[in-house]
Amino acid sequence: MSNVISAKNLTLAYDNGRKEIIKNASFNIRKGDFVFITGPSGSGKSTLLKALYGQLKPKSGNLIIGGVDLANVKPKKLQELRTHMGIIFQDYKLINEWTVAKNVVLPLMIAGYSIDVQNTQAHRLLKHVKLAEYADKYPLELSGGEQQRVGVARALAKNPVLILADEPTGNLDDYSSNVIWDLMENACQQLETTVLVVTHKIPTIFSLPYRHFIIESKGVYEVH
Amino acid sequence: MKFIKNHLMFILPLMAILLGIEFYLVFDRTTDSYEKGLKEGYTMLVVTRKPITLEQLRAHNDHIASMKAIKRESIVSEAAQGISKESKAEILKSLPYFYNVGLDSYLGTRELEHIKEDLEKDPVVKRVETFGSSYSSAYRLFSFIKFLLKVFIGFMGIVSLFLIIKQMEIWKYAHQERMRVMEIFGAPLMLRSGVLFKVAIFDAFIATMLTSGVFLYVKFVWAAQSGIDLMVEKQNELFKMTDMAILLGVALLLVIIAVYMVVFSAKGEEE
Repeated sequence: MSNVISAKNLTLAYDNGRKEIIKNASFNIRKGDFVFITGPSGSGKSTLLKALYGQLKPKSGNLIIGGVDLANVKPKKLQELRTHMGIIFQDYKLINEWTVAKNVVLPLMIAGYSIDVQNTQAHRLLKHVKLAEYADKYPLELSGGEQQRVGVARALAKNPVLILADEPTGNLDDYSSNVIWDLMENACQQLETTVLVVTHKIPTIFSLPYRHFIIESKGVYEVH
Repeated sequence: MKFIKNHLMFILPLMAILLGIEFYLVFDRTTDSYEKGLKEGYTMLVVTRKPITLEQLRAHNDHIASMKAIKRESIVSEAAQGISKESKAEILKSLPYFYNVGLDSYLGTRELEHIKEDLEKDPVVKRVETFGSSYSSAYRLFSFIKFLLKVFIGFMGIVSLFLIIKQMEIWKYAHQERMRVMEIFGAPLMLRSGVLFKVAIFDAFIATMLTSGVFLYVKFVWAAQSGIDLMVEKQNELFKMTDMAILLGVALLLVIIAVYMVVFSAKGEEE
């Protein structure tokens, strides 16, 4: 299977390259892989995720996603690449002034789909995450678990090639966490979406085969 | 309340600029005839020993545009009242020829002196009187007032523009989270800053309407009731419908520049 993500001698750093977080990491992630990345706090899990959606430029090495090297990507190309990704955040990052339905169809809005298509898809996606009746509500009227389901629906809106999730269940109770894992497992299984999850802890109940990477001492290692 | 405050913080500086522009337009229109009178009404007096033609004078200096002979008979009849016909004829015979000479543009004192020197080189020309100091001081005073007005409006415009940009930055911070989320999902710059453009364009319309309203009030209510002749006479010049188009054009241009400045500075921070 083809690689969706390919990192070679990747070094990530802050403070204009002075503070290295990840050093000389090399790994490949294939289409349809479900990947967990774990590691202690401050090890660089979220930093790696930031680099994967192009918010942090690699200091050195290569980070290739869908054939695009993020070390030398032009803003326009990065913008286009991001439209093929679904990103889920621990703090949801929903737009509080927008309704739940509008939040969910953000990727479709960016892609220029008509209002009719957006409305139909909003209904379908919210039904999928069991929040159909919340379409006209605003994010702050929802519980944390419900907001995260909206976040997942938004990530799935455009059938992305890659889903990146940063501690998606970090703030949720067990019930909400299980719902989120189910949704992501379904996406991976049914749509062959590559899912990469940064988390403290791999869920105990998880039905899919998965790959596990650990970040330790600035290195990224696969656990077999 | 916060919503109104946010918009007023943008509308008021924009209105200050528009009021300045409209005030200048009105000032320019109402004083136009006065300025023309100062510029075009000016003539210098040329006294010659023999009759002279415009071409002869022009040969000495290109700035000479027109010439009008002053009737010698009227000078004599004014100056020699109660004198016999023969004496008048004698005076007329010895009297030189007088001409009012007009110029093609407003010239400074030095240029006027230069024309005077050119003309006095001609042996036919007896004397040239430029009235340079009185002409120049009236025109210069007017030009100075106009210049001060421009400086004041310009200064007010710069200060107001800074206030507009400051307010736009506050809006940017207010919408920053939304813009960042949109950016992460691949929204182009124009889409994620669309909200700033919408609000700014809406406020540009409001500021234009309010400014136009102020001047329409001045035109139709205040000027009519003022009892000031000049105001009543020039009432039509106080506000024209084309002014509204000018104000709207300027307002839109300013807000678009301000939004671009803020949006592109934000882009620089992110990358």
